Amino acid sequence: MRWRRLKHHVNLFSLISVITGLLIVVPMLNILFEIMNPGNETWLHIREHLLMGYVINTLILIGLVAVFSALIGFLSAYVVTRFEFKGRALLSWMLILPLAIPSYIAAYVYADMLSYTGTFSRALRSLHVSHDFNIMSMSGAVFIFVMTLYPYVYMMVRSALSKQSAAFIENARLLGAGKFRQFFQVVLPLVRPALVAGTLLVVLETLNDYGVVAYFNVRVFSFAIFDAWERLGDVGAAIRLSAVLMVIVFVVIFLERFLRGRRRYHLHVKGRPIQRKTLKGINRFILPGALWLMMLLGFFIPLFQLLYYARLTYRTVLNISFVYLTINTLSLAITATLIIIALATILANFNRGNQTAFKKSLLKITNLGYAIPGAVIAIAVLVFFIDIDHRLYPLYRLFNENTARLVLTSTLSMLVFAYVLRFMAIGYNAIEAAYDKVGEKFTEASYSLGHSKLSTLFRIDVPLIKGGLISAAIIVFIDVIKELPLTLILRPTNYDTLATQVFRYAREEMLQETAVPSLMIILIATLLIYGLTHQKKKDVRFHVRRD
Amino acid sequence: MRKSLIFLLVFSVMLVLAGCQLGTSSSDRSITVYSERHYDTDQYLFDLFEQETGIEVRVIDGNADQLINRLDNEGEDTEADVLIIADAGRLHRAKSMDLLQPVHSDVLFNNIPANYRDEDNMWFGLTKRARVLVYHPDRVDPSELSTYEALTEPQFKGRVVTRTSTNIYNQSLMASLIEIMGETEAKAFAAGLTANFARTPAGNDRDQAKYVVEGGADIAIMNTYYIGRMMNSSDRFEQEVANTVKVFFPNQNTSGTHVNVSAAGVTKHANHSEDAIKFIEFLSSETAQSKFASANYEYPVHVNVEIDDLLASWGDFTAQSIPLSVLGEHSYRAAVIMDEVGWE
Repeated sequence: MRWRRLKHHVNLFSLISVITGLLIVVPMLNILFEIMNPGNETWLHIREHLLMGYVINTLILIGLVAVFSALIGFLSAYVVTRFEFKGRALLSWMLILPLAIPSYIAAYVYADMLSYTGTFSRALRSLHVSHDFNIMSMSGAVFIFVMTLYPYVYMMVRSALSKQSAAFIENARLLGAGKFRQFFQVVLPLVRPALVAGTLLVVLETLNDYGVVAYFNVRVFSFAIFDAWERLGDVGAAIRLSAVLMVIVFVVIFLERFLRGRRRYHLHVKGRPIQRKTLKGINRFILPGALWLMMLLGFFIPLFQLLYYARLTYRTVLNISFVYLTINTLSLAITATLIIIALATILANFNRGNQTAFKKSLLKITNLGYAIPGAVIAIAVLVFFIDIDHRLYPLYRLFNENTARLVLTSTLSMLVFAYVLRFMAIGYNAIEAAYDKVGEKFTEASYSLGHSKLSTLFRIDVPLIKGGLISAAIIVFIDVIKELPLTLILRPTNYDTLATQVFRYAREEMLQETAVPSLMIILIATLLIYGLTHQKKKDVRFHVRRD
Repeated sequence: MRKSLIFLLVFSVMLVLAGCQLGTSSSDRSITVYSERHYDTDQYLFDLFEQETGIEVRVIDGNADQLINRLDNEGEDTEADVLIIADAGRLHRAKSMDLLQPVHSDVLFNNIPANYRDEDNMWFGLTKRARVLVYHPDRVDPSELSTYEALTEPQFKGRVVTRTSTNIYNQSLMASLIEIMGETEAKAFAAGLTANFARTPAGNDRDQAKYVVEGGADIAIMNTYYIGRMMNSSDRFEQEVANTVKVFFPNQNTSGTHVNVSAAGVTKHANHSEDAIKFIEFLSSETAQSKFASANYEYPVHVNVEIDDLLASWGDFTAQSIPLSVLGEHSYRAAVIMDEVGWE
């Protein structure tokens, strides 16, 4: 009897899911176990002089970034979906564009513009005005993170508002609810899951960043991890700090489940678009003006500054090897994205229906990679792959007597694996959200008609969530081409990407030379965002589901 | 049908990725370099080396500590033959982790002065840079300046600027002072300097020079080569900054100006140690030295090689005479002291 029940659970999906989960968990366990070891001298030093500051700064940073990006993301999504004004359609997709600019590049550009030789300071000086805004500070870091990351919130809230809320809001209006009540009792609860999920992504990205906080000397956890490793020369202490960070992330993710609330709202109306109100009076200028200002700060100003630098430096930077860089970057990102999306689909599929404690914890852990600084994941993955290579060595010998021992370690597979570990959360969450929207009725119907899981996946699920899959793929792709620490440390010899090229120049403080590779990253990401927002819309039918 | 196709696709991609290097053995003549420095002009030298010897140079560049960690984890299976790092303290770290092997080469002994190489011949300095005072000539009379220590005096309150304590150059400067003046004095120096900072440290070395020209501070502690870089920047406003400030070599009548090197060592488990030694010898040769050093406006270690015109214009200077291995020995204490005095 028991065997039969077990057999019921064992299939290709559960196998792949469990194996993926284990592959991701095993390298991470090395990190978590570090907490068990007694602290050494370095750890005591960190605890006595530094830890308190790290914790406080981290809380301030993620707190402020979360509040402001949630606010900006939500308000811009609200304005774009509820009001009609000139340029609305354009803004509606362009507001996502700041995602194309890696935070560390935005930080370098802004710091330079506001420095003595920078464009902005020079312009002010010519008007005999001086400014003393110091961007290399906590508030500067908050500004950079909010401006480059708010699109996560914007995208999620916008899709929640445009797809589901129209009927609810109109009913509320018809029933005589005031504007205030409409907003707080209908709109806000409707978008709460999206708002919280988007803000979570922003917080996790912020926790992971090292480039911005290192340059601005904002002493948060990721900063601490590198400081322990590099300056104090203690990898053990660095890993220990990462373990503490993982605990913080557990709490944040738990908080998200709590804040998201349990209720889900599905509707069986045809996807009728919301009736937008035309903006009147002074609001005609203020609201769109505010949005354009954000576009300016988050996208156009850094873009134009980089274009100016590119004009200064393209002669030395643009050469044949730049073509190889671009090809490397694209092919690597395509491979990683395909694998991540395939695995994320299987995992999301595995997770539908009955949720057991085992499934839940497996998924939470597979999501953890997103919050751990890349360099720490790099250590974990490297150790893991060296171990695998040692185990597989006898197998390699069958192919080639004189083979080197570290075969996998010297190939791209190590880097791709690290990407999977790092970005699974993004792919998975986007696909899970898509699944959430379509519910399970069709899938269950297909099962009850005798179709297998696989056949259902390809005939029912994939067509239903195609849009979600494409969005997930594009977001993962953009993240991969922007990724730096993993790429830097896990790539094979003589293998460069656009991001590592940016790093090489930035490390030597040659900001102007970073412009061309940075612009290439931004260009690729911009085209993808354009594609993402201009997908052909299929007629989507909603269905009834109450839970 | 379709299902199996998709899975086949995914797994074949993985297999290709894994298998594409399975057949390659290490028979062709090449060396692998883990390098912290990789300038566009370095590639020219690597190509020259290949022309002369037929040995191909393969490079992974990255952060010093990440490269050291990778080397450590790879153990005896590493591909790396040479480790190049831009700080003597970090090379000492690699040495104490038992990642390097001693090299006995008369060529290297002749080309490189003794205090710029490891006492056990584990690593060899190739280029050196000085950590100097950079000041604004309108607000600072050079006669005011004398030593690093003097910057702790009250007349410099609110006038000094430098990078964060996490920066390796400051850490090595502190380590050298611990060696020269002892830990107590060095700590007093760090505390006094921190008290005189014009702002909470942030930014890179160029930002410090800009802050001086802007008027936020009068004196910056920074590396010589950044002035060289800024003078040749593609941004003419950065050139202006570099042309405005002046360079002062501190401690000329006492312990000498702090210098550091970028240096190379042969890894302990190198598969091609002979070729690796040849490579380092080549980089220390007269032909390579001028190019290798001037690529980054650094001083060559080879005494016969003429220095770049720009560096010559700053004049000769006396450097600290301590063996650079001590930078690594004291680096941990240096970090702890800076934390204790609140140097951010």
